[in-house]
Amino acid sequence: MIDLELIEQCRGGNFTNFRKLVELTSPFVFSVALRMLGNEDQARDVVQETLVTIWQKLEKIKTAEVYKTWIYRIVVNKCYDNMRRVKRNPEFNANEATWTMISNTVSQVPSAELENREISEIITVLTQKLSSKQKAVFVLSDLEGMTNDEISEITGLSKTAVKANLYHARKSISEKVEKYL
Amino acid sequence: MNQENEKYNKVINILKNSKPRLESTEDIQNEVIKRITSIHPFVSAFTGFLDFLFSWVYIGWVRRSLIAASVALVAIFVYQQGVILKRIDFLSRQTIVIGKENISDQTDQVEKILMNYKNEVRKLPLRTVTISEKQMNELIESVNELQLKYKDLEKLIEDDPEIKKLIEKKLNEINRTKI
Repeated sequence: MIDLELIEQCRGGNFTNFRKLVELTSPFVFSVALRMLGNEDQARDVVQETLVTIWQKLEKIKTAEVYKTWIYRIVVNKCYDNMRRVKRNPEFNANEATWTMISNTVSQVPSAELENREISEIITVLTQKLSSKQKAVFVLSDLEGMTNDEISEITGLSKTAVKANLYHARKSISEKVEKYL
Repeated sequence: MNQENEKYNKVINILKNSKPRLESTEDIQNEVIKRITSIHPFVSAFTGFLDFLFSWVYIGWVRRSLIAASVALVAIFVYQQGVILKRIDFLSRQTIVIGKENISDQTDQVEKILMNYKNEVRKLPLRTVTISEKQMNELIESVNELQLKYKDLEKLIEDDPEIKKLIEKKLNEINRTKI
């Protein structure tokens, strides 16, 4: 649990406490980054960049309650930057074999835990046609379980825009699921 | 439609329940600490200042554009200030003349004439005549001194009728020669 005391100690330049903060923060930062980017290496880079930014801007945090929202905002923005950077790369096109593999993975594991590689592949294929905003809203809402208010605060979008982006994202993913799985 | 939803929910549930696992967190910790300690304080302060100004902009390219625009505006402002100061400095070295009257409080006629002369000189190309303020003051002083001596001479001539007569005679001769 991240408390204000730990944040205060980190503000004082204490690296030992910062290590503890990194330990507590990096798992959910990695979770959001991997789900948004669908690439483990890029997600690890985003985790590093986010943690460096957290260290630099730690004095902005006034209460422990806003800490998580604040970090989500940083990681989402870092993911946006990353998506823009790698946009020029050739788009990943899922072929028949990929869909079969995904279908098998999904059907074989009814209630559980996929590997990072499998999560990356499924998310990449499903969210391939989504814009970065739609992807962020989908990940935060359906995978991270956040409310529209929280998503609005994190992404800077209005609640109406959040709803609209979520609707389009769900529709697009739903169509793919129906068509290929 | 229900079947479609069912499939969608199934896939989403699997993805939701499968939390991505971050391995070798120790490496990430070390890398982050390394990066933090290598950041130069000046760079950190500068980026901190930019963040303070533009942290309200969430979109990366908009933020970068705003930073670039503001830097350009500041550069233009500084350049303009430089030009204006240079111009003010140049103008402050000029004597302001309204019509034929010099606004200088020096009442001496010779000084007025000399100041007008100085202004006339300024109209000439810079390479033709160059005279400093010090030289001009020396010139004014020497002219004043000359004028005093001239007055003394006039008085001397007035006092002595013979010299006056002689000078008048000489002047008449000169005038005649000229004609």
